[in-house]
Amino acid sequence: MKQTTGSQKIPGFLLKWTVLSLFLILTLMPFLWLLISSLKTTFEIESGGFSFPASLQFINYVNAVSIANLPLLFTNSVLVAVLAVALNVAVGSLAAFVLAREQFPGRDFLYVALTAGILIPIISFLVPYFILITRIGLYNNLISLILIYAAVNIPVTVFLITSFMKAIPKEMEEAAVMDGCTFSTRFWRIILPLAQSGLATAGTFCFIYAWNEFILAMLFTSSESTRTVQLGIRFFQSQFQTDYGPMFAAIMLSILPTVAVYVFMHNKIISGLTAGAVKG
Amino acid sequence: MATLRQDRIRKGLNITLFLAPVIVLFVLFFLFPLFFTAQTSLMKWKGIGEMEFIGLKNFERMFGDDTFQLALKNNLIWALASGFIQVPLALLVALILNRKPKGWGALRTIFFLPNVISAVAIAMMWTQIYNPGHGLLNTILAPFFPQLAQFHWLGDVSTSLGAVIAQSVIYIGYFMIILMAAATNIPDELYEAAQLDGATSWQQEWKITIPMLRGTLVTAATLAMAYGIRHFEATFLMTGGGPAHSTTTMGIILYQQMDELQYGRAGAVAIILIAFGTGMIVLLRALFGNKDPMSDASQ
Repeated sequence: MKQTTGSQKIPGFLLKWTVLSLFLILTLMPFLWLLISSLKTTFEIESGGFSFPASLQFINYVNAVSIANLPLLFTNSVLVAVLAVALNVAVGSLAAFVLAREQFPGRDFLYVALTAGILIPIISFLVPYFILITRIGLYNNLISLILIYAAVNIPVTVFLITSFMKAIPKEMEEAAVMDGCTFSTRFWRIILPLAQSGLATAGTFCFIYAWNEFILAMLFTSSESTRTVQLGIRFFQSQFQTDYGPMFAAIMLSILPTVAVYVFMHNKIISGLTAGAVKG
Repeated sequence: MATLRQDRIRKGLNITLFLAPVIVLFVLFFLFPLFFTAQTSLMKWKGIGEMEFIGLKNFERMFGDDTFQLALKNNLIWALASGFIQVPLALLVALILNRKPKGWGALRTIFFLPNVISAVAIAMMWTQIYNPGHGLLNTILAPFFPQLAQFHWLGDVSTSLGAVIAQSVIYIGYFMIILMAAATNIPDELYEAAQLDGATSWQQEWKITIPMLRGTLVTAATLAMAYGIRHFEATFLMTGGGPAHSTTTMGIILYQQMDELQYGRAGAVAIILIAFGTGMIVLLRALFGNKDPMSDASQ
């Protein structure tokens, strides 16, 4: 009996770790290759392969920062992402509070309508967004991106924060209502602090989206002063055509913020996805 | 009595104030675009001047167009590859990690990582990996297949679509997380009983886990296929739809029509995208009785 389970376990063990190693390589090798290439000379990159550079070319990073004007790109992207998150979470938590903790006619319909926005492919809204942005005079203005990024993430944010706020026990509020707490005090003093984790999760999703978004930024801005990081590294691809080292360095720098956010927030991201999955 | 009425009015006012911002954003960025798109899809309009009503001509024109038919076919291939390659691979990894082998938490975190990296960075990276001269792929293949040493994966019509689709396998972490979450809801007693009956691990997965995950698998496959229908960014960034339209998708055609100021035709493509990309999920929800539109929270 022991023998059979033993001999069955060895191929199973091998198969398991083969699959995991393959996926680990598939996931990490592109990034490792990117990292190694970002430290090579352009000549070394052009000769190809996974070889290590003769000496580490940190100069690529210095060149990337100056050629691509990374300080400006980063300022724009940070501004857009942070303000979009602030707007999105503020608007979303106000709505979520009412949707989670109040009774009023049409509440369930409103909740379904708001969260159903997730089903729309945003790419199909390129034309109306463009018309809207140009008509209200926000073309080539970063405010347009802040508004759109905040709005596009409303379905996810309303869903996440509402489910966090629903989970807060009624008793927490009842004591406060007894004490004569007003509507807005209940929101600020009781529900909002208790839903912090939900706000952080929603904010993380919105930040990653806003930092990574490309096509809307490309369509709604036109000058160098309003370029975001994604546009910057994309446009400078042509500039870097013969200068691969700094290009790889610029890509590395552009992914650092979301990787950093992921390192610190991955538990919230995974539990946020899980909350959606368990319901679905 | 008067105070009770005052209280109710005040409460109604508060609720309205709290909802006002979200409703403004929703009307501007979801409802208006939806109605505007539906309207322009029936019009001939170049962005300036009067719209001219032309009925379903935009749709007839798009469906009759060779390139659009190719895009439709490519989107279908994307959808099938996402639903029937990505999701089963995600299931395989999820089943292994669910047994909590050493380092499973770290592996789960790493496998999801590509989902938080920008499409621009990933596309530029893969463009370099597929580079005919110094790309990683040809460097690895050259010793075994010397004839491929200079092969241009993205530039050759026979391999371009496959090459763009193949890189999307790095995104399986998303479906893996959904499946792992659902699997934790399976009662332990089922496995304990199976173990007492002498069932092997594979028998347990096959007879318990996979049947219990059926609903989640259908949801994951539907979502994956809907994403395949919507697919735009990686193709736009890696090939722009070329060479010779070989990698084009409906999203690419929408962008091109918009670029040519054919707002009516762009609207028609948008409606087709919404109908396929959203209709599929709605249909699934109706069939499986799940009314909650939220079963994913990103992308």
